[in-house]
Amino acid sequence: MMTPLARNRIRGMVIHAVLFIVLGFWMVPQIYMLSIGLRTPAQAFDAELFTWPVTFDNFVTVIRDNPLGAIFLNSLIITVATVVIVVAVSSLFAFACAILRLKGSIFLYTTLLTTLMVPLASMVLPLAILLQNFGWVNTYIGLILPYAALGVPFAMVILKSFMEDAPHELFEAARVDGCNAWQTYWHVALPLVRPALVFVTIWQFIVTWNEFFLALIVLTKSEMKTLTIVPMQYSGLYMANPGALFAILTLIALPLILLYVLVQRAFVRGLLAGAVKG
Amino acid sequence: MRAGSAVAAVKRRSASRASKLYLFALPATLLFVVFIAYPILWVAGQSLYVGTTGGAVFAGLANYITVLGDPTFWTVVRNMFLWGVITIPVQMLIGGLLAYFIERHTHALRGFFRTMFFLPVVTSVSVISLVWVQIYAPYYGIAQEYLKDVGIVMVTSPIGDPKTAIYALIIVNIWQWTGFSMLMYIAGIANLPGEVLDAARIDGAKGWRLAVHVIVPMLAPATKSLLLLGVIGTLQTFPIVHLMTGGGPNRASEVFGTFIFKQSFVLGDTGSGAALSVIVLVIALALSLIQIAALGARLSPAGRQRP
Repeated sequence: MMTPLARNRIRGMVIHAVLFIVLGFWMVPQIYMLSIGLRTPAQAFDAELFTWPVTFDNFVTVIRDNPLGAIFLNSLIITVATVVIVVAVSSLFAFACAILRLKGSIFLYTTLLTTLMVPLASMVLPLAILLQNFGWVNTYIGLILPYAALGVPFAMVILKSFMEDAPHELFEAARVDGCNAWQTYWHVALPLVRPALVFVTIWQFIVTWNEFFLALIVLTKSEMKTLTIVPMQYSGLYMANPGALFAILTLIALPLILLYVLVQRAFVRGLLAGAVKG
Repeated sequence: MRAGSAVAAVKRRSASRASKLYLFALPATLLFVVFIAYPILWVAGQSLYVGTTGGAVFAGLANYITVLGDPTFWTVVRNMFLWGVITIPVQMLIGGLLAYFIERHTHALRGFFRTMFFLPVVTSVSVISLVWVQIYAPYYGIAQEYLKDVGIVMVTSPIGDPKTAIYALIIVNIWQWTGFSMLMYIAGIANLPGEVLDAARIDGAKGWRLAVHVIVPMLAPATKSLLLLGVIGTLQTFPIVHLMTGGGPNRASEVFGTFIFKQSFVLGDTGSGAALSVIVLVIALALSLIQIAALGARLSPAGRQRP
């Protein structure tokens, strides 16, 4: 007869083993990508997950031959600017709804919320024409502002619900102490919703960095392109050389993966703190 | 008289102060008006015209009739239906199971598993698409090589066959987004009230019975949000299809995203591109409102309910 404790231990080990096996299968595409990137030209077309020996030649070649730094910088500029605008604009709006309770703000809130029901596929054509009329094709601003407009509603929902849950006596005290609205926003509201701000920042960063559809249409000049839309041109360039292609794909995917691993703790903390609730 | 004007002055001052407060709401409203509302109105108007933007003539519903008469449109509708009906429940099921076992049965490795299963979500979709093209490739891809060992022989690449292409793409999409469903359920499970779980345990609910009869119903808000987000996500599907099959072979895997892209930017037919955009928009709004009315679903992914 097994003791309950021993049974629990065995069950825990079995569950861990199963999770590791599932994870092994789940990671196949990523492992395969890295594995092809590490192959010599002779092994490149082998239908196997792993080959031996490995070489770093492909990585050296693609880094030397391609302006990856400049492309990375394009992604970074567009993403950081979008995140800053989304966080600023949505927190101001959430403050107007949740704390200032301006007349008509709930109507505005509901109107802006409908954005979340709009699929991007139905927006690319009108946005492309609008940006063309503004002369914003192939500019950073041409992506930053539409991304911000599409990102604000989700951030606003989260920040508003956090501000509503914050202790209202603090806002009352700030008013009694003679803080004006701006000071209350800056010194009271923002520090109170920090976990939500972190969550919104990370999520908006991921979404913007990986956005493909609008970037494909707005960025046609090669010196403006972002990391997300260059893989297609490399798949043509390195058609006969999968080792080089997959080395460059690994490099393109790496920055965001590394960033996520670094910030995942704060991201999940924001999520668990109720960043996603009704 | 004088007192009256003083009151008026105070009123005016406080009114101007109140209107200054609207500056907090102004930037978000401006972004919405310029980049969401105006483009939608424009595309709705444009869908009633034929010809290029310069010399367009009013044509009433002609564009809609053309689009609805195009057999590709109905292929798209079928594909989108399959996409949603397969992707959403499968992601919920796998994501929910992963979340349950990770949250309730791991401790030291919890953060590790949460992060690893989420990585496909943060991997660039264009990279993912090209990797999967290689996996599915005939002769040198690993899918046919390893599936042979379990008795599944593929004669052609699954994305090169009109009958299987859409399913092959759906698998990629499920693989990429399951981590997102997992994380939503993790937030839901972590926020379950402890008292309810304890009470259920005292009543003798254990293991699977606890999971199915107590935890699943309590995760309903997360499930509803995932359904709502899944429907919108399905309708805006684009990169995986565009990069892996381009909607082919022979338009068999066309989705709304690639169809709109081709009509608007490859063929330059702004009228039918606009009509398609409006149709997608109307479908999205209708399906969202039905869910909100019928299920009380929320647009914000929900975990714990506010009192």
